[in-house]
Order: sequence, then structure tokens, then C-alpha cells
Amino acid sequence: MTSNSESLFKESWMMILMYATAIILIFTLTFHILLHSPLTGKAFEATLNFSYARANLIYYRLLFALVLYAAVIHGMSGLRAVLLEWMHPRRSWIVTFPVAVLLALLLAVGTLTLILV
Amino acid sequence: MKTSQRYRSGLISSLNPRHFNNERWSYTIHRITGAVLVFYLTAHLYETLQIGLGQRSWESALSLLHKLGPLENVGLWIVVGSVLYHGGNGIRLIINEAFGMILGKPTLPVYPYAPTSLGRNQKLAMLTINLVAMLLWIWAGLYLLAGLGLMK
Repeated sequence: MTSNSESLFKESWMMILMYATAIILIFTLTFHILLHSPLTGKAFEATLNFSYARANLIYYRLLFALVLYAAVIHGMSGLRAVLLEWMHPRRSWIVTFPVAVLLALLLAVGTLTLILV
Repeated sequence: MKTSQRYRSGLISSLNPRHFNNERWSYTIHRITGAVLVFYLTAHLYETLQIGLGQRSWESALSLLHKLGPLENVGLWIVVGSVLYHGGNGIRLIINEAFGMILGKPTLPVYPYAPTSLGRNQKLAMLTINLVAMLLWIWAGLYLLAGLGLMK
């Protein structure tokens, strides 16, 4: 297997990851948005109440973990793809490394939130 | 004309929205809404961290947001619109790219090279996505912007 076909193989896995996280997000994000929608019977401002927001985070902790991981992975893969297309760097890690650092930071912040509540 | 000049003129010409077809428009809007969502995700994760840090942190974060005035809800409305379009168009892309559906049958490239991928089904899918996203966005606007005193 040449290095080109190896890198193509990796990119195809990246796209599968994008599709898989997108499908997860369609369902989980819909639910997340509905928690702040008129269907809750509350005004939008009331859904930002501390006890309501914290109770949601505790009660749906697994769902929010899924949203967090899927959204961050999907978002950062998308950002990497856009930057690679625009910048055409000589080495893909020039884009991949900073995006991976940002991904780790966002996952750390999100995971910390889920642990702290 | 030098090769680099030809490349540059080609690039500039390709960015001219007058040359965009439906697919190029959907590609461009998908990228723009994606960038909006990545920016929002970063801010939203920081904002949500304040819930974990306690009620005072959360309320001070909210009061900071409230200082934006009507822009806060308008910003959220833009984010909801981005989610709706990006999600809807994303479903179409998954159907196209992952399952190879509604792309039309490949034909020989004959001038003026009309893309077979922009057939009736594809146009119908795009129209449906735009329509549904627009309707839900209006609904979200009525809900979010009601707090601005625009509605009773």
C-alpha cells in the first residue's frame, strides 16, 4: 500500500466519522433544542433558570455527553476539512495538530462541566 | 497570461456568486453555517461550564450576555437558523454521498456540461430543505424574539 492510498484510507474514515457523528447529532441535538423550546411550556428565558438548566444536565447527563463528543468531533473534523481545502499546507499536520489541540480543550471543558454538575 | 495569473483570475471568478449554481450555493451556505456553529459551540461550552461552577457563576455569565440586549436573542436566532440549514443540508449530503441516492445516472460529458447530480430529485430535496428550515426558523424567531417586545 503506498503512502497516498494510506492517507486516502484515513480520510475516508474521517468522512465516515463525520457522517456517524452527524446522524447522532440530528437526534440528540433536536432533543437538546426541544428542552429550550415552547414545547416545554416555558418561556425561553425561564429555560435558562439555574435549577432547570442544572437539573437537565444531571438528568440527561449521558445524552449531553453524547451531544458533546459528537458535536466537538464533527465540528473539529469539519474545521480541519475547511482549513485543509483553503490553506493547502505542505503537510496536513500543520492544520491537524492545532485543530486536535482545540478538540482536546473543548472536550476537557465539556467533560469538566458534566463532572462538576 | 502567466499560469499564476490565470489561477488567480480563475479563483476570483469562482468566488463570484453570479456564477454559482444551486449546489454551489448550498455548499457555500453549509460552510458558512458550519463556521458559525463551531464558533457558537466554543462559546456555548464555556457558558455551560458556569453551571458546573455554581449559581453565581451562571448568573454572572447570563448577566454578561444580557448586556448585549436584543443582540443576544438575535444571535441565538442566527444560531438556530444555522443549525436548521446545516442539519437539513447535512441529511441531503449523507443521502447523496454515503448512500449514493438522488444523484441521477451518470452520462457522457457533453457541452454545456449540465451536472446530472442537479436533477429533479436533487432540486426537490434542496427546495424541501430550504422550505422546512425557513418555516422552523420563522417559528423559532417568533419564540425567541418575543422577548424583545416585538410580540405580545
